[in-house]
Amino acid sequence: MKFLSQMNRLSRRRLRNVTLTVASIAMLAAIVMWMDRSLLHSSFLTGYVLIGSLFLLAAFGMRKRLPMIAGIGSASFWMQMHIYVGLGSFAVFAMHIAFRVPDGMLESILALLYLVVFFSGIYGIWATRSIPRKLTSVGEEVIFERIPAFKRHLARRAQTIVMESCESTPVLANFYVNRLSKFFECRRGLGYMLIPTGRKRRHLIAEIEELDRFLAQEDRRVSRELAIMVRKKDDLDYHTAMQGRLKLWLFVHIAITWSLLIFSVVHGLLAHAYGGGLA
Amino acid sequence: MENSTRIKFPARWSEPLDPDMDARAVDGLLKVAPFTAMNPESFSESMPLSGILKNDSRLQQLEKGDIIVREGDYGGSAFLIVSGEALVSTRSLPPEVLGRGNKERKGWGRAIAQLWRNSNQTEARDYSKTKTPNQDTGTGLRDHSSGTHVFLHDIPRVIPPEHSITLGEGEIFGEISALTRSARSATVVANSKMVVLEIRWQGFRELMLRNEAMGQHIEKRYRENSLQAHLRETEIFRDLPDDVIRKLADRTIFQTFGNYQWSHKFKSTLKKDISQRILNEPLIAEQGDYVDGLVLIRNGFARLSRKHGEGHQTIAYLGKGDTFGFREVVHNWATGQQRPWMLSLRSLGFVDVLKIPVTVLEELVLPQLRESSFPAPLPDLAGDGKARNRRLTPRAKSMEPGLMEFLVENRFINGTQAMMIDLDRCTRCDDCVRACASTHDNNPRFVRHGPVHDHWMIANACMHCLDPVCMIGCPTGAIGRDRETGNVAINDTTCIGCSTCANNCPYHNIQMVQVNDNRGNPIRDSETSLPVIKATKCDLCLEQPFGPACQRACPHDALVRIDISSPDDVMEWTEK
Repeated sequence: MKFLSQMNRLSRRRLRNVTLTVASIAMLAAIVMWMDRSLLHSSFLTGYVLIGSLFLLAAFGMRKRLPMIAGIGSASFWMQMHIYVGLGSFAVFAMHIAFRVPDGMLESILALLYLVVFFSGIYGIWATRSIPRKLTSVGEEVIFERIPAFKRHLARRAQTIVMESCESTPVLANFYVNRLSKFFECRRGLGYMLIPTGRKRRHLIAEIEELDRFLAQEDRRVSRELAIMVRKKDDLDYHTAMQGRLKLWLFVHIAITWSLLIFSVVHGLLAHAYGGGLA
Repeated sequence: MENSTRIKFPARWSEPLDPDMDARAVDGLLKVAPFTAMNPESFSESMPLSGILKNDSRLQQLEKGDIIVREGDYGGSAFLIVSGEALVSTRSLPPEVLGRGNKERKGWGRAIAQLWRNSNQTEARDYSKTKTPNQDTGTGLRDHSSGTHVFLHDIPRVIPPEHSITLGEGEIFGEISALTRSARSATVVANSKMVVLEIRWQGFRELMLRNEAMGQHIEKRYRENSLQAHLRETEIFRDLPDDVIRKLADRTIFQTFGNYQWSHKFKSTLKKDISQRILNEPLIAEQGDYVDGLVLIRNGFARLSRKHGEGHQTIAYLGKGDTFGFREVVHNWATGQQRPWMLSLRSLGFVDVLKIPVTVLEELVLPQLRESSFPAPLPDLAGDGKARNRRLTPRAKSMEPGLMEFLVENRFINGTQAMMIDLDRCTRCDDCVRACASTHDNNPRFVRHGPVHDHWMIANACMHCLDPVCMIGCPTGAIGRDRETGNVAINDTTCIGCSTCANNCPYHNIQMVQVNDNRGNPIRDSETSLPVIKATKCDLCLEQPFGPACQRACPHDALVRIDISSPDDVMEWTEK
């Protein structure tokens, strides 16, 4: 037990939750095996456990909307339950479909919906663990809703300092028109939003640095400021892509969950209508 | 050097307490007790008695019923009755009389009802059902030249004679809380038309120093009451008998370091280089100097630092109740050596300390202590510098140095309920902000943004500080500590929107908002027609059944309300 005391709080929690989940699945599997051997319909049992799990998982969304009654458990507790009940539900799902590919139309759609929700959940676990670290490493913290305003401010500022430098040389102005205006004023493409990289930023900064030899001392100060602004804009784009991804993922995960719940209820009703009850 | 900005260095009396205090008023004061008995020659030339009265004091003309100080308030002033009489209430008055809200926790029904009862308008208020100061509470508001005062309509009903003490001309009150920067222990009300001289803490201290009788009187009162209790609460002295505690209290030296109004200059100080900032902090004890006593922190915070190359590295921070130097004192007593201070102790903003001289400790304390309560002996100073430094550092678990510096430099160590966010776990989902809004009529009371060190953010949410500078100067007592929880809360009804608290808060955690009715129209003052402004901030969900919604709404264990004044709490959270 010494290793338990050496673990931190979150590791101890993880170990406890995994143990509970595995034990619950093992118990259910044992009951299902016993029912099958006794020629009972275990699919009703697994079906009820599965639909119960789905409603419990969906209830997390309701808990989020009721922060004022936190007595029903903290969101952190619900999140843990959501993760482990969700993971456990896959085993229940496998038992429910008897480890075979469903053949009916409704069953196939239902299975597909479940798998999409399940794997989007798995992706969510990974994304919510990895994306925050990536965002933190950017350095600047920014609230998602404020990003467009910051971008507009940067675009205006870039345009202003370039205009001011026009009097001495058109080099920066030309560069701005040809290379930077689109970068500052337009949204990044789908490719960047899916896999954001620093390639564009590196290229633009390298090009700005190459301009230095054509610029007077005063204009070099402007070009350095432009380079800083390119970095800032790229950081904002990165935040847009990564924070946006987290928000989009959650939207998709929830939207499909509702479809899954509706189809599950229909499936349950049909099963009872044509299956002859629990026996 | 040629291009550097030049300013006039602020002097002690750059900002008088009352700019209207003139020579005539000062002359008048010099003719009344206790100033008549004071010898002007005992005051220094740079700080004459007349200068103290002119710059550190102000006269308040009060009407019968005016509340002069409220129990629980913070303030940096003592009061002298020039004419008239005042009543001290010996029992606590109801919060509504003191201008504070009496917020009760909501039950489940009312908590759930917020789902549909929350207004769609920002900062909507419905004052039709709220008691104003004139209704039921038996209080009202009165404007004086010194500011707005809350007054009692019916003094005997609120403060019955059997629960009051009368103070007359020449008597002083409020000095202990002003000198110790602690909450006022009682409410004092004008019992007749009266003139009160408010004396700023700095000036009052000077009067005590220069006038022996006054100094002795105040000090005796403090030593008899607060100091003995403070010493008894100190771990080292816990087992000492009462007579030893009394003797210790008699021989304890009071010292104050730093600026009482540290919060005013805090932001500008932050712009300076950290090495320079540390060097500018008043030294309480310097590494390498002769050990002359045990230091007890009575109020405020101090930085424990160690010389590191050409600079100073922060090792820890000490707050109220902490001690410094016991290890050295015991080591020198036990071994007969004369080892100097191992670390430096500097004032962070403002700190009030008690010093017990080594000779007193050797006579009264050390012989009575059990060997088991002795601290670990000091290490041998031989060896290379790196190994020596390691040994000199306190052995207990220590915080990551960068995080320590961050918390100290930004004075987050003042926060007892600071909002700390682990950005490596925070998905920026804003569930915390939504939860806050849901529990505050759709108005979030914090901003999920703030200074960041590594992956730790201290968000802009009220920290419910140990030293709540926001509470100093509130004219109506609208901001105060909740009696049960100690959290700082604003009573929306009695807030007059003067912005004193928001301007005082060095962390920008109080916002002034314009309030609207439920249709979104601005609520206006019935006399001036000006929009009504109110101060708002995090109240730690005082009314909610289950405490702070923000923390309980975070699904990723990224957000915590934490007592940063306790380094152990911070380490426990950061090492989760």
